[in-house]
Amino acid sequence: MSERRAAILGHAAVPIGQHQRVAQGDAPLEHELATGVVLDAMAMAGLGRDHLDGVVVAHPGDHTRQGYFHTFLTAHLGIRATGTVIQVLGNGMTGGHAFDTAVHQVTSGRSDCVLSVGVHFETGVPTARHLDYSIRLTGDVDYQSVFGAVPIAWYAMDAQRYLHEHRVPRAALASVAVKNRAHAALNPLAQYRTPITLEDVLCARPIVEPLGLLEVPGRADGAAALVIVSEEIARESGRPHVLVRGRGFEHEGLHQLSDRPADALDYGTLRGASRRALAQAGLSLADMALFQLYAPCTIVEVLASEALGLFAPGRGAQAAADGLTALGSRQPVNTCGGALSRGHPPEVTPLYDVAEATAQLLGTAGPRQVPDARFAMTVCELGKYNASLVHVLERAA
Amino acid sequence: MSQMPEVRLAGPRPFPPRVSAFSRPFWSGLARGELLTTRCRACGALGFPPRNLCRGCWGRALDWVPLRPQGRLYSFTRVHVAPEAFRAEVPYAIGLIDLDDGVRLMCRLVGEVGAGDLDQPMEMVVLVHDDGLLFGARRHAAG
Repeated sequence: MSERRAAILGHAAVPIGQHQRVAQGDAPLEHELATGVVLDAMAMAGLGRDHLDGVVVAHPGDHTRQGYFHTFLTAHLGIRATGTVIQVLGNGMTGGHAFDTAVHQVTSGRSDCVLSVGVHFETGVPTARHLDYSIRLTGDVDYQSVFGAVPIAWYAMDAQRYLHEHRVPRAALASVAVKNRAHAALNPLAQYRTPITLEDVLCARPIVEPLGLLEVPGRADGAAALVIVSEEIARESGRPHVLVRGRGFEHEGLHQLSDRPADALDYGTLRGASRRALAQAGLSLADMALFQLYAPCTIVEVLASEALGLFAPGRGAQAAADGLTALGSRQPVNTCGGALSRGHPPEVTPLYDVAEATAQLLGTAGPRQVPDARFAMTVCELGKYNASLVHVLERAA
Repeated sequence: MSQMPEVRLAGPRPFPPRVSAFSRPFWSGLARGELLTTRCRACGALGFPPRNLCRGCWGRALDWVPLRPQGRLYSFTRVHVAPEAFRAEVPYAIGLIDLDDGVRLMCRLVGEVGAGDLDQPMEMVVLVHDDGLLFGARRHAAG
């Protein structure tokens, strides 16, 4: 017996930026920012509060004040639910779980209409203090964090190894940042929209060598909401919508690092999870019109594109430099500008990625529209792609 | 089994590790210049850090054994934007060491290190801070 299918009927997000850090005070509070995106997403879906029977909230991280944010927000919105009200956490995958859990609520029949929503705040906290918190997340606190391994340091070590092993020109890797900035220039939700050159990227001050300021994510706040409903409700609405066709997940049983020498550049969980998602959808990689890949650094987008099988190992950076992931190519990657330029409020980044894929499939992506996009893939991860969560989406006929 | 040389670093450890009854032998081993870990009595697997089970076979009987403190540099980075706790250290290098015993670990790198050192010989060292010990690595003296 096959499960029923879920659809995305509404989406909304605030422009990514420094919402929490407002010089003269008066910064919005987390539930205040959530209110707008929820009402906008519900308006797009053409549904009212009483239609909702489930709420899934992305855990907002350490820098919001309100605890038990999911029930607080549900109460703030006056929602009564019979399916579930839950807050989910999965590292960088948190927003992905918020989407995935809402979809599962619907496909399992427990709910018909679920709100998937998240807020990420961090810019009210100075970077160094934020890093005191985040070194405890991406490493063994007693044997790795003790050395000051900030989260992006792990990706930086991948970059160093990649340049060494594949003898790739440094500029090829940097080109990923230029490409993403060009995409972000076309995205009103993006945090960084001023075009940059290869020279800007190569001359930026070092952050985690070999990566400089423009190859790592800026600090950002964001809020996004999706309305997930049964395919039946979506069809009856008569509104354009997107179907969730496939889902794949894989965790390799490692936390950041294998303690045996192995190829650290092989993001194998993505290969596995993407194959599962495609198999469930009955589609192939070549069917995808675009990819939204969770990639906080240039190297991550390169290694993820290789793990997917878009390019051979060691060829991803040059492929990006050759324009094979840019808008206008056959299968563009991160049309929104990606985590680097669209912006990276980690707990909700995957919600923004699903929202971008949805806009592309609905044909509402404006100047960055991929012509006649029918299928899209969204990818999120945790650790250093120690786990991957993949969804395949389709524009409903 | 060669002992690890000591390298003196100014100040306390920026983010000190916890020590438990189980893990105490590891940290005591550093004081003797030894890099200890656990080896599964059932399947012989070595891992790092020391664990109270074998993650390969779930064996619960493990022996403390010393690792040879030599290996090669798999990769590294130099951190320029650091946690508050590490502000005094900036910039600092951390790297992945593939030990000759077939174990990969991450640690602080001391002394000169650059992109040309990838795959080159490294030696493990004991880092002596004001308040206690950590472990690190540097270019192999003979390398």
